[in-house]
Amino acid sequence: MIRFDDVSVTYPGGVQALRGLDLTIEDGEFVVIVGLSGAGKSTLLRALNGLVPATGGSITVDGAEVVGASAAELRALRSQIGMIFQTFNLVNRTSVLNNVLMGRLGTVPAWRSTLGLWPADDRERAMQALERVGIVEKAYVRASNLSGGQQQRVGIARALVQEPSVMLADEPVASLDPVTSRQVMGDLRRINRDLGITTIVNLHYLDLAREFGNRLVGLRDGELVFDGDIADVDDDTFMEIYGRAISDDDLVGTEDDLT
Amino acid sequence: MSDGGTARPVRPRPRLRTLGITAGLLAFTVFAANEVGFDASTSWEVWTNPLWEMFWPIPWDWVLDRSNVLDPLVETFQIAILATIIGCGLALPISFAMSRLTAPNRPTYLVSRSVMNVVRAVPDLFWAKLLVTAVGIGAFAGTWALSIFSLAVMVKLFSETIDNADPRPLEAARASGSRHLPAIRTGVLPTVLPEYVAYALYVFELNIRASIVLGLVGAGGVGRVLEAQRQFFRFDRVLGILLIVFVAVFVIEQVSVALRKRLV
Repeated sequence: MIRFDDVSVTYPGGVQALRGLDLTIEDGEFVVIVGLSGAGKSTLLRALNGLVPATGGSITVDGAEVVGASAAELRALRSQIGMIFQTFNLVNRTSVLNNVLMGRLGTVPAWRSTLGLWPADDRERAMQALERVGIVEKAYVRASNLSGGQQQRVGIARALVQEPSVMLADEPVASLDPVTSRQVMGDLRRINRDLGITTIVNLHYLDLAREFGNRLVGLRDGELVFDGDIADVDDDTFMEIYGRAISDDDLVGTEDDLT
Repeated sequence: MSDGGTARPVRPRPRLRTLGITAGLLAFTVFAANEVGFDASTSWEVWTNPLWEMFWPIPWDWVLDRSNVLDPLVETFQIAILATIIGCGLALPISFAMSRLTAPNRPTYLVSRSVMNVVRAVPDLFWAKLLVTAVGIGAFAGTWALSIFSLAVMVKLFSETIDNADPRPLEAARASGSRHLPAIRTGVLPTVLPEYVAYALYVFELNIRASIVLGLVGAGGVGRVLEAQRQFFRFDRVLGILLIVFVAVFVIEQVSVALRKRLV
């Protein structure tokens, strides 16, 4: 279980990204977070794994406190939490397999990963993760030679190989076209269902949020303004979260819209 | 069209400023020449000096004798290769400590930067003289002097490359619970490695030339032979040595440039 208790994040520049956020997420949930850019979606995910330190309140993951955790505690926590990024964050000049193996950095001894002597067991896990996202045949291809959708799948495999209990996805489809976006969102939902990994996805596109989410959380100016079942959500709810009418830019659309 | 908004503007002519700058540069040149005692008539004497006749003919028998030029030249290359390996090898970890992106903490960053600035501030020729005094005349002193020179050049070039590397894979590594060193090794090193090899080749090119210069102050190699022949006023031999060196350096540079082009 993940608990945010009165969490605030103020950046060194003075920007308040989160204000007094309370949120509880049960094991195995698939939560979609929506909000305008700058509403605090990214900060929320990064506060959860300590990449951004919370400046107030308490965040616990399965009972372990994140705020004020030591470096060793943070590493242990992060090895349990997979993360997927908007820009994939792959190492372009190395193989897909090496990229996926980076997900094992939290558990493999430092000297082994530094020398590139990955245990056979970890290589096997990396291959299985690639099989799960359907691109195992690309294992020895350079990451830069893959399409955007394939690169994000490598990103998902890298998170999966951690064998995490929580998966964070920060705008995972914002750099992809509509068809690929749906495939990647489908991958995430399948992994959530098959493996029971608690999944939190930041999304900008409202139609995707409706299609794939179970529970919707709305953020506006760092505050939680909506938390409920996706089935209860209508356009008025989105207007409340966004503070303006819905436009075409807020929808990923379908391939038909493009032609 | 009387509309002011669409009228073409008059091209501005900063004529006066250009003239002023040119006049200023000219005045400074005359002033500087006066100060250092540079005199065109003396310069002419330099070029008509009978010394120049002593350069001809080249004594090819002496020049092509292995022990005279070729063996010391091989020693020069050995110094350059060894110094490149030592200098660039040391530069790899130090560059990562010197980059804002990959420094483990602020003290390491500041200390490594300051130490390298001091090392770079000392001219390579001075390092060579210092080391010749410390360990004696010969290739050993030359190798160490050049290693320090390679290190200084390499950390400057490479740490800037690391500064500009993509920080996002590093974030991904940290997010998966990685320690600092493995995160750099897997997240940053692969992206900067081709540049590292290219810079090492470039440093090797610099070292070939620098090791000849260092030889002049007693640090071994073909530079020492060059200096000895100059002291004996055997300028015909000097010219022969220079020709051999020119050919060797040219070939090595061409190979190195071709390799670097393939890398980056």
